[in-house]
Amino acid sequence: MELKVKTVKRVDGFQEALYLPAIFNGLKLTVQHFFRNLLGAKDVVTIQYPEEQRPVSPRWRGRHRLTRREDGFLKCVACYMCETICPAQCIHIDAGDHPDFSIEKYPVVFDIDELRCVFCGLCVEACPKQAIRMDTGVIAMAYSSRKRFDYTRDLLKDTYTPNQRTKYTNIPLPKTEDEALPNSRGIPSS
Amino acid sequence: MEAVEKEIRNDADASIMPIEIGPAHPAMHGIVRFTTYIDGEEIIDMIPEIGYLHRGFEKESENSRWIQITPYTDRLNYVSPILCNIGYSMAVEKLFGIEAPRRAEYTRVIMGEISRITDHLTCVGAAAMEVGAFTFFLWFIKAREYLWELVEQVTGARLTTNWTRFGGNANDIPDGFLQELHTRLEQTKDILKECDALLTRNKIFIDRVKDVGVISKEDAMSFAFTGPMLRACGIPYDIRRSDSYSVYDDLDFEIPVGTVGDCFDRYLVRMEEMWQSISIIEQASDKMPAGPVILDDRRVSFPDKKEVYGNIEGLIDHFKMVMDGHQPPLGEVYMPTEGGNGEVGFYLVSDGSGTPVKCRVRPPCFNYVAAMPYICKGEYIADIVPIFGSVNMIGGELDR
Amino acid sequence: MDVLIGILLIPTVQAVLKIFVIIFALVMPLATVLTLMERKWSAMIQDRVGPNRANIPFLNNFRGRGALHIAADGLKSFFKEDFIPEGADRFLFTIAPYFGFAAAMATFAIIPFAGPIGDFTFQITDVKPGLLYIFAITSLGVYGTVLAGAGSNSKFALLGGTRASAQMLSYEVFIGLSLLGVFMVYESTQISVIVNGQNTYWFGNLIPKWGVLTQPIAFFLFFTAMIAETKRAPFDAPEGESEIVAGYFLEYSGMRFAAFMLAEYIALVGVSVLVVTLFFGGYHIPWLHLWESAPQWLVSLLQFMKFTIFTFFFCWLQLQIRWTVPKFRFDQTMALGWKKLLPVALGNVVVTAFIILIAN
Repeated sequence: MELKVKTVKRVDGFQEALYLPAIFNGLKLTVQHFFRNLLGAKDVVTIQYPEEQRPVSPRWRGRHRLTRREDGFLKCVACYMCETICPAQCIHIDAGDHPDFSIEKYPVVFDIDELRCVFCGLCVEACPKQAIRMDTGVIAMAYSSRKRFDYTRDLLKDTYTPNQRTKYTNIPLPKTEDEALPNSRGIPSS
Repeated sequence: MEAVEKEIRNDADASIMPIEIGPAHPAMHGIVRFTTYIDGEEIIDMIPEIGYLHRGFEKESENSRWIQITPYTDRLNYVSPILCNIGYSMAVEKLFGIEAPRRAEYTRVIMGEISRITDHLTCVGAAAMEVGAFTFFLWFIKAREYLWELVEQVTGARLTTNWTRFGGNANDIPDGFLQELHTRLEQTKDILKECDALLTRNKIFIDRVKDVGVISKEDAMSFAFTGPMLRACGIPYDIRRSDSYSVYDDLDFEIPVGTVGDCFDRYLVRMEEMWQSISIIEQASDKMPAGPVILDDRRVSFPDKKEVYGNIEGLIDHFKMVMDGHQPPLGEVYMPTEGGNGEVGFYLVSDGSGTPVKCRVRPPCFNYVAAMPYICKGEYIADIVPIFGSVNMIGGELDR
Repeated sequence: MDVLIGILLIPTVQAVLKIFVIIFALVMPLATVLTLMERKWSAMIQDRVGPNRANIPFLNNFRGRGALHIAADGLKSFFKEDFIPEGADRFLFTIAPYFGFAAAMATFAIIPFAGPIGDFTFQITDVKPGLLYIFAITSLGVYGTVLAGAGSNSKFALLGGTRASAQMLSYEVFIGLSLLGVFMVYESTQISVIVNGQNTYWFGNLIPKWGVLTQPIAFFLFFTAMIAETKRAPFDAPEGESEIVAGYFLEYSGMRFAAFMLAEYIALVGVSVLVVTLFFGGYHIPWLHLWESAPQWLVSLLQFMKFTIFTFFFCWLQLQIRWTVPKFRFDQTMALGWKKLLPVALGNVVVTAFIILIAN
């Protein structure tokens, strides 16, 4: 398309030189906001943390969790893909032999240092078993010692609860764990 | 600078006072340090010192695979991260010689323009706050929150988006997003109109920014300005039109330019660019085609999860892609894109292996900060505030 | 008992008691509440909530919607480390906060808060050159900022102090010039005469001769000049906040800083009080004199309430202006004053003189 140029208008005439008309206009606006919020706090957008929490979308990349199979064991087979692709090198896995031959390996040690994590979500994309997810909805972790941020395998085990805390009415919540999968091909589910 | 120092040393009661507008200062957003020599209130000389936020982006990239660099690009221009993501991904796509599918390009345009609006909201809001209009800033932050919630709906994070992949995007926009987008854009338009009424015709503000920090067209070009700073001087240079990429050729928008090149022009140009971005988003959301959002090319994208769970070829492709990384062909490429602050260019050199030889980003604000002494000479010390506010220095981008 | 009444009838004792009541029961509470109200009202303008977290733990975490922040701020200032920067002039650094404090408080000495009941006036003292007293006291306030700026061994503070001195000195001129019009209309500098003069009416009992109606331009000028004098936005270049971080009180901490802040808020109340007294009829409620059978105490009470409500409105207006308008650059403050306000003020004086000449 052709280049369309629009010169911005610099308005600085007599009305501006009087100072007061613009100040009155501004005052009108702020007084409107003032009285709207004084009698009812209608436009106030503050969230009273920690009593209220900020609603997050289902895709929010929060703390990791390791998913389980139906029989309760972890789905993770210690393939080291998430550890390889992690840009921050925060995942450390130690594989061990699984007694069931069809599931050859399982993670003996699966540590994520949440302080090093950059919450990029590449581990979720890399996992071939849908074993690691970031959909816990935990916005931020706050502890008073660095040791607490080293999440071991047992701390990471978790089950799926659909993240109900979204306030958008137009965007539907995923109902099952499969629906909440990161869609790597991007074809809309509907 | 040497002359000034000599004068101070030779003359014991010289009236030139060196003052540190130091790294920890309310007006030095990002972090940068200016050693200013002032005579009364007038600036005689200024020495900028950058690098307080240097994190070694280039060196880090030399040890990472191509896909692992995408999270680093979020943190370059951290107020418009998707534009940096797009720039990097398009550069790698250029290296591969591929193009993303249409739907991916349209969603990239939408999310990129949302990011551009957040960039301008932050810049103009912070500059206005330092000039004294606190309410203006907080209303803009409210608008920015609405937009960040939109970004979060799509990418999964407000700021560390990591959304584009080579050959497309990580995921598609969710259902119902376009409706939500429309609602939020209406709210943003209301806030833009209110804030415009608060400040644009206010003589106090006009006096603060008019004819302050003037830079002529020739000087701006010799400093290699791009983006809103150059457009405010009167040169209609916008990479979305001159070196058009993605689907910007199909979208109809105007380039706002200024006349004088002072802070007032830069403020007006940025305000107008926000309106233009809103118009681009509306056009793109109307024209959005259906289709895939990532190229089904095993050189660049992970296979579909069904393939990975289903058959062995998909699993092997996935495994090779993760373990070896992307392997673009031998070559070097420079891809300029229009970032929030100007021309964000990525210069990539590939030797065919999984890690880049060089991954350099051209920060637009490097030139602006380099030109700061030139612009500020002769201005008052209180003028540093609107000038630096209009320069929109983003520490992550400047220091990388 | 008789001795007590005898003592109370001494005018000096009455004045001292009035000082205590006015300062401790009226001015200080209002100024302190304004420190919190500034934050809450600015929050309401900016679509947020403002401070609401300070609580008393053992009283079931009682919060009072943020009212406890007043006490919290006071306690915090009290317990902070009080240090004097190395190289600073100790004496000047120490006495500087209290000039502004004293000057701000002293403006309340001549303001009548309600109508007199018999012989008892609600005014601490009624000196003949009342307006001139106001000019003198506001001039004393300059010392505070200049000494703070020059006495802290810091470049930013020096810049702030220099700016403050120039700004405050020049805007006193405009205060004087704008009040010259008031002086001419009401034909006296004595405050009680000015206030009573605003109780007279045009067209017989129809429109009260309030200062804002007889001297509208002087009202705007006076209000602007007083905002500049107290260094509130948009004239807070000495306080900088963006370029010189905090200006003249940069190096102060703890209770000394609280003294500066409190002085600023007391000055805010002082400005409102002066504006109400000189331009909005003081304590007089228009047309109240038509209600002949009103008891004296009720009249005084109603007048006091009117005075308080109007004062509160002007305090609110000053806070509202702060959050609406951007700041002036320092040389623009001076240019505004000397190049734009001075001709307007002189023109006002000339026009007023002309109209008075014609009307007589």
